[in-house]
Amino acid sequence: MRTPFVGVGLVALIVGGAAAADAQGLITDARRVGMGGLSLSRTGNLARYNAAYRAVAARADRRGQPKLTIPIPLGLIQFFHDHPLSNISNDPAFNHDSAGFNPVELLNTFLNPPLFLEVKKAPTPTNDVVFGIGKDSLRVNLGLTAALVPQDQFGISSSSRPLDPGIDIRGVRVGVMGWLHEEVQFELGDRLLGFLADSQQATHNTTYNVLVHGIVEGGLAPTVSYAGRVAGDTAMGLYVGGALHYYLGVGYFRTDGTGGDSIGNPIFARPLNPVAQTLTRYSKAGNSLGHGVGGDVGLALVTGPIEIGVGVNDIGATITWPNTRTDTAFYKDSTVAGNGPAVGYSRPGLNHIETTTKLPVSYIANLAYTVGNTTLGADVLNTGRGSIVHVGGEQRVGVIVLRGGVARDQRKRLEFGWGGGLRFGGLGLDLGFWTHTNSLSNQRGITMATSLSIY
Amino acid sequence: MKAKWLGLALVSAAVAAGCGEGRAIFNVDVYSFLKGTGRDTIPYLVPGLSGSGSSIPQKINLPGAGSSIVDSVRALGTVDLINSTGSGSLGLQVFLAADSAGTYNAAALAISVPAKNVSPASTTPDTIRGDLSAALNALFTKSQLWIRFGASASNAGLTPLQGKAALKSLLLTVIIKDKFF
Repeated sequence: MRTPFVGVGLVALIVGGAAAADAQGLITDARRVGMGGLSLSRTGNLARYNAAYRAVAARADRRGQPKLTIPIPLGLIQFFHDHPLSNISNDPAFNHDSAGFNPVELLNTFLNPPLFLEVKKAPTPTNDVVFGIGKDSLRVNLGLTAALVPQDQFGISSSSRPLDPGIDIRGVRVGVMGWLHEEVQFELGDRLLGFLADSQQATHNTTYNVLVHGIVEGGLAPTVSYAGRVAGDTAMGLYVGGALHYYLGVGYFRTDGTGGDSIGNPIFARPLNPVAQTLTRYSKAGNSLGHGVGGDVGLALVTGPIEIGVGVNDIGATITWPNTRTDTAFYKDSTVAGNGPAVGYSRPGLNHIETTTKLPVSYIANLAYTVGNTTLGADVLNTGRGSIVHVGGEQRVGVIVLRGGVARDQRKRLEFGWGGGLRFGGLGLDLGFWTHTNSLSNQRGITMATSLSIY
Repeated sequence: MKAKWLGLALVSAAVAAGCGEGRAIFNVDVYSFLKGTGRDTIPYLVPGLSGSGSSIPQKINLPGAGSSIVDSVRALGTVDLINSTGSGSLGLQVFLAADSAGTYNAAALAISVPAKNVSPASTTPDTIRGDLSAALNALFTKSQLWIRFGASASNAGLTPLQGKAALKSLLLTVIIKDKFF
């Protein structure tokens, strides 16, 4: 009964860590894996975040940009071999009644789908966790794990454009873009942070909680954009791009609050006493549309073997929601403690009020250098939650391609990629290895990715 | 129960490379539950050759470990044998059970402290040390258990052996070792 609020913090820790590790998204292309996540093709981050790249001609002769890449999910084959679907209900990994059930592993599987083969698992963490329990005292010592307790805000966020149909005439494009922004952020409360990270003793009449902020919003954006070469030719040219969006918000939901466990006096008088409170603002689909204006700009310079680009997205994209409703919710459950019935209520707040949300500004800067059969590249991508840096390259030797790269993720950890491939005419088979760290250990595991590419 | 278990498992599983074997270790300060209740003393009076005494059972709250497996439980404590009259020897027993009445069953015996000689008007320090009976390990997965202390005394003289055993400290170290990974 005394550990739930410890669990709350550690769930947050694990989710946060895993999410951070996964912040670069699920990469299904072994070529990118082999270059530490670097994308040299037009279909990757460049086209998404740099408005000028729509006009930059593909350089398939140099970098080999496939029309289609099909991942070979060796990891899934291994996964389902180890966990047969016919016996999934009795599988210790998924059966919470089993002593072998490990919620951390389950969570990691969910957050990091085993698409590719794990050739070296991150070493099994082996750290004792010590609880000190008395009649009126509780302390936990996480040992070295305490260093992994997040001190700052952490979470998952993305800003995507799932569809973008339009008509392109001489560089000018008119279309309607779908947009979606979701964000979940957590931050351990000071008391919980001290309890977990500094092994502070639990104190009377104290709430140990996690601060939560979540938002999801989406809609359409009629867009007028331009991308074109303003100077030079295909071998050496300057490209610019820009887009003006009129955002129409279909709906949004935002909540800010806290959740945790409140300890009584004495400490175990009310050992399990979950408390939560939130302020929620939302505008449902069918309400008046949100509206706002924002834009993208991009620049790309191609000078023979060198290519440089900078792109910024969603500049000034503030959405005004004219018909927002607010609710407050409070929950406190004392049933387990035998201290009265559960209490939970939601109170409607102001309705039909105007609120605003802001899309995160994303930017990318990239550099590529191609000489002979060698291409080197680097990029820095920031989608509003810290920068990810990729540096990598590939060397083509006949039908063989060798690749290597390094990435620095949002947790500022370095990960390494290497691999190779074979290409026969229009068909390529690629293999890539990428180190990774899970949220509970600083030691690296290695994933092997395989994919087929059709050129 | 699931919430408790999840919390426990996550804490146990949330580990980093380092020392230890990935275990959850609960140091339960049993004495803190007994102190000031009067249940931390075991009075005895042996007018004849032998006799026994007992404390009143006391409830101990635990976190609850659900379906986890308790690997071992180790006791470490100190006790003063405060003997008023007579001389002889005194041994202590610790009984654990899921309920109060169960502590009086013979099967509830968790650990026996070897007998120690006592003399008139003297205080003899003693220690409680050792692994508890493995048959009782499952008790530590529950959210509470009951503890009772017993004293077995042998009188070596004609004067009644009388006094009390006063607990000064008792820590139970519960080691939980599941297949977390």
